[in-house]
Amino acid sequence: MSTVQLTTRAPHHRRSSRPLARILTYAILLLGLAVTLVPFIWILMTSLKPASEIVRIPPTFFPEQWTFNSYQTIFADPKVPLARFYLNSTFVAVARVAITLFTSSLAGYIFAKYTFRGKNLLFGFILIQLMIPFQVVMIPAYLILVQLRLIDSLWGLVIPSMVDAFGIFLMRQFISTFPNDLIDAARIDGASEFGVYRRVVMPNLGAPLATLGIFTFMATWNDYLWPLIVITTHEKRTLPLLLTWYTSQHSQRYDLTMAASILVLLPILVVYIFFQRWIVRGVALTGMK
Amino acid sequence: MTRAAIVGRAGEPRKERTGLRPGQHAFVWGSLIPIFLYLGVFALFPMIWVVVLSFFNYSPVRVGDGPLGLGGRNPFIGFGNFVAMFGTTQAAQLFRTAMMNTLLFAVLVLVVNLAITLPLAVLVESVHERLKGFFRAIYFLPTVSSAVAVAIMWGYVFHPQQGLINNLIKLVGLTPPRSWLTDPNAFFLGVPLAMVAVIIAYVWMDFGYNLVIFIAALQGIPREIRDAAHIDGATGWAEFRRITVPLLRPTLLLVCTLTMISSFQVFVIFQVMTSGGPQNQTRSLTMEIYENAFRYQAMGWASSISLVLFAMVLLVTLVQFRVLRTDWEY
Repeated sequence: MSTVQLTTRAPHHRRSSRPLARILTYAILLLGLAVTLVPFIWILMTSLKPASEIVRIPPTFFPEQWTFNSYQTIFADPKVPLARFYLNSTFVAVARVAITLFTSSLAGYIFAKYTFRGKNLLFGFILIQLMIPFQVVMIPAYLILVQLRLIDSLWGLVIPSMVDAFGIFLMRQFISTFPNDLIDAARIDGASEFGVYRRVVMPNLGAPLATLGIFTFMATWNDYLWPLIVITTHEKRTLPLLLTWYTSQHSQRYDLTMAASILVLLPILVVYIFFQRWIVRGVALTGMK
Repeated sequence: MTRAAIVGRAGEPRKERTGLRPGQHAFVWGSLIPIFLYLGVFALFPMIWVVVLSFFNYSPVRVGDGPLGLGGRNPFIGFGNFVAMFGTTQAAQLFRTAMMNTLLFAVLVLVVNLAITLPLAVLVESVHERLKGFFRAIYFLPTVSSAVAVAIMWGYVFHPQQGLINNLIKLVGLTPPRSWLTDPNAFFLGVPLAMVAVIIAYVWMDFGYNLVIFIAALQGIPREIRDAAHIDGATGWAEFRRITVPLLRPTLLLVCTLTMISSFQVFVIFQVMTSGGPQNQTRSLTMEIYENAFRYQAMGWASSISLVLFAMVLLVTLVQFRVLRTDWEY
């Protein structure tokens, strides 16, 4: 009985529920879209209102009077040399990306393609590193920087993170699938060991290097806790530090603080728009966080 | 550690070469020695040092007479710091508050996050390929944003008079709370309202990760299994409960672990949105480490709290390995 009923009922059931299910699906997805985007739009709109309109109750969503006043105020503020802060953040991020990509791919290549004594021990050490959160070792890391006289220096944001355990692990996984024949062929052609890495392996690592590079860039650009500990001079602040400082100076001027937030958010959103595919695929592939 | 052993063994079932060929030594060791010397200084040594510091009443403003500034006026106190965690001093009470806050935060974030991301992933997966990419890209947007900017933004969204949330609540005819972030006597289902606000902001910022991981896992479920389920009459809820969730179990476990571990470490959103207030209701463990180490210079005490954080992370990781292994044997 059940078989007959099911086979006759199933198509009927699906047909009737489908349009409704479709509509419901899209309604929920659009609601999610709104929840994701509205806060961004809201602060953007706030940054474009005159201060007098912001304190009005009930508030407006879109400005009645559009103005770039808040942005002009920030650009004109002598205590906020914006170009300087963008440069600080860019320097730290680019330096860390370049160094991390080099050390990760080099060590990843060696762990993937060479056999030597102590290899498992060394790689095991890398894997253990993956489990140690930065917050756990930040006190000794700070004390080391004090010894190296790197406190209050932008290099102090670069030097403690030049080798990334996760990067080495990721690169090893990718390079393991690289054909050995290509490597051996290059050797027969007279390439040195470093030449094989530089001219044969490296050029074929586009996808994983891009993924690791973008993630390192974003993590560095958005990092707050470590710069907060290391940097003390105003001119050496990175953008997130600048933002909290600026907010503390103008806590009741929401037009200004929201405009400053937009200025900090904007570069990373542009990077995201360009590299969206790499980033999303990278997360799906690696579970990176 | 378990994983290290497994990977290591699987990596070399048969030895093709017994070692390095002549000429490779220079390259391999020339590259690895600097890298591991560096890791020794910036990874291994800090791990050892944080353990050592946790046995001392250490402050960098005092000068000790032993190596690394230890000893003398920075005395060795054995397990003193850990024993003090159970004491009645103000510092101990603050630590326990931060610990409970962090656990409450991690559990609630996990529940809310999964309740949103898992069904949402199924819905995203069910729409046309083009639209799927679009929705996924937008949903992922908050995760790449600067956490500081997000925290400042949500602080304003929760503003009592001008904020978006309270005005939306007024719009639908309800009475909004007097203050989201500063009223110590405001609770929602027993959870401090400020904590609720931080959880909302954090889940908003973080849900894209789990969503993307779930979508990728859903794409890995073979079409035939779903078709078979449809023929048997399973659709909608039944399909979700009996097909999707069981097949996603390994992914679910991974996602739970990652979400828990990262929730333990949250700093920015607490620090910037509430600074731990009102009355320490949103003081997190990482804030506790930061404040003790860098504001009060009590680095020995802060190191022992760091180790508690590490133990929590380790525990969650080991539970994950354990469950994964039982699955494997089954």
